[in-house]
Amino acid sequence: MSQPQQPLGQPQQPLGRPQQPLGQPQQPLGQPHPAAPPEARRRLHPLTPLLRGLRFAALAVVAISWQGYEQLGTARWALAVSLVALVLLLGALISWRATGYQVVGRELRVHEGLLWRRTRAIPLERLQSVELVRPLLARLFGLAELRLEVVGASKTEAPLAYLSLDAALALRERLLALARGVAPATGTAPTGPGALPAETGALPAGATATGPGTWTTPVAPGPVASTALPERGVHVIANRDLFLSQLLRPQWWALPLVIAAPIVFFFTESSLSFVAIASTVTAVIGAVQAPVRVLLADWNFTLGVAADGLRIRRGLLETRSQTVPPGRVQAVGIEWPLLWRGHGWVRARMDVAGLTAQDNNRMREGTLLPVGDVPTARRVIAEVLPGFDLTSVAVLPVPRRARWLAPFRARVLGYTLTDTAFAGRDGVFTRRLVVVPYGRIQSIRVVQRPLQRLLRLASVHIDTAGAGLPAIAEHRQVAEIRPLVTELAERARAARQH
Amino acid sequence: MTAFSIWPDDVQWRRVSPKLLWVELFSLFSGLAIFVVACAFAWLIFDYWPILLVAGFAAVVTLVRAALLPRIISSWGYAERADDLLVRHGRLVRRLSIVPYGRMQFVDVTAGPLERAFGLATVQLHTAAAASDARVPGLPPQEAARLRDRLAALGEARAEGL
Repeated sequence: MSQPQQPLGQPQQPLGRPQQPLGQPQQPLGQPHPAAPPEARRRLHPLTPLLRGLRFAALAVVAISWQGYEQLGTARWALAVSLVALVLLLGALISWRATGYQVVGRELRVHEGLLWRRTRAIPLERLQSVELVRPLLARLFGLAELRLEVVGASKTEAPLAYLSLDAALALRERLLALARGVAPATGTAPTGPGALPAETGALPAGATATGPGTWTTPVAPGPVASTALPERGVHVIANRDLFLSQLLRPQWWALPLVIAAPIVFFFTESSLSFVAIASTVTAVIGAVQAPVRVLLADWNFTLGVAADGLRIRRGLLETRSQTVPPGRVQAVGIEWPLLWRGHGWVRARMDVAGLTAQDNNRMREGTLLPVGDVPTARRVIAEVLPGFDLTSVAVLPVPRRARWLAPFRARVLGYTLTDTAFAGRDGVFTRRLVVVPYGRIQSIRVVQRPLQRLLRLASVHIDTAGAGLPAIAEHRQVAEIRPLVTELAERARAARQH
Repeated sequence: MTAFSIWPDDVQWRRVSPKLLWVELFSLFSGLAIFVVACAFAWLIFDYWPILLVAGFAAVVTLVRAALLPRIISSWGYAERADDLLVRHGRLVRRLSIVPYGRMQFVDVTAGPLERAFGLATVQLHTAAAASDARVPGLPPQEAARLRDRLAALGEARAEGL
């Protein structure tokens, strides 16, 4: 994106005038209001270095203790630990001093680094998602982290950690208003802690959002004008259902095996070594971490819709509040896990560009519905993909000869073209329907592997800007491919022109 | 094209330059040469004859691929339709890409040293989807420049965001 060309670290210089250095092409700075005076650069919350330093310091302490507590002796160990903590804290302090952010026109600029300075300009009309994250430790101090997602970034851009809760809420509201194209009134006032009950109400007693003495960053000068948008609640997940659904996951089956192994070992060897216990504990954690993580992450899951987009709030220890502006959802995946079919439960995920990277950890961030019955899923998905009716989807099955290539999946595979979206079905144990609205199709690929050619079959891949949910119409008859591709291209074009 | 092909035959396919064959052959055999030399060294050092078998196998695979190369090269084709670019290639695994001009984010024209030696270039169209695959190798520089300019112009005229 466009890099500002003024010497970094001197924000007072007028930003609207890029210098013309060394044959650089003239870069539009993405500033629709060159007349507006650039506002002052703001720092993160002063407690940031303490919190960030603490996290690394804790790790370092563990590492030192693990290695050489016995060799060093208490006095030396304390000295080493405090030295490391001091160095880390100092580093965090310097990094805090060098970090700042400012809103210029319709851009957010984040300044970072002391030696290698970097200023990242994020055009807000390209914003894909904003997330307010409050880790446990940050909650205790009344702080929050703001994460912005833009396309083309492999990781979260500009995680602003940490801001005071008020500042984070106000900044989020302001960024979203700018993303919507609403002309900013000089600045939106910080919404009071009571304005968004789900944000502050979920705090444990004793840790108020802005406790007395907590340092509050001044947000913006200007008149106080509350622009809190009315929000329409769509769905709240009952924690009981979430708990039960996470118990119904195959990961728990590994548990008896994992626990039984050291017991058998104990009876055969009649000694229980430290290594055996440690490995058992690790294995137990490894086996059940996926459901437990979902449980912690999706606790108190609330879904709402406001003018600035979809709003999702969730989390037990670390609370998250995500806002996805309208039209940012690239694809939606609906899953029917085998063990949930007795309850008629499904779960749904959404694919937002920049949000869902390849690695699995971040896939959880696209949760749209952690658990719910089909009518609920239908309602929720209709909010994200207007005009899509989950219950009316009937897929076209693949030809019988596809069984040669996919003996088990042939029964499940299929696709359909609804009025608004392509939907492809796959998955034997966990059945999955991936829905891509026509307007989000980036390109279409047809792939025919050698065996498919023998059977006169081919697969159609629908590419979107998301990365997490592949939409494929697999093993279709070749005769069917051309009309399908033509139809898809035509519908995608029509949807784009709206 | 038969009725059983996934490649439409009602469009004007443009072929890539036949000189691409030489580029591909050269890179194929230089790869083989490096591998064979490495194997020979390994054999001299370890004095273990099955290593030579591996080198021989690699040579056979390379020769088979070289024999198929003309057909693989001739499979490359692209067609500029009113609203999208079609790219097809592959013999064993056949592929067809359909990329609307309006989805274009940027166009790359690249030419490696080997391609330059034969006067060729590669044009690649990028969309916001990482999986999009619209690469056309083996174009003469004028054709590459023409295609790039045309794609850029069409992309601008039909630009849409995400």
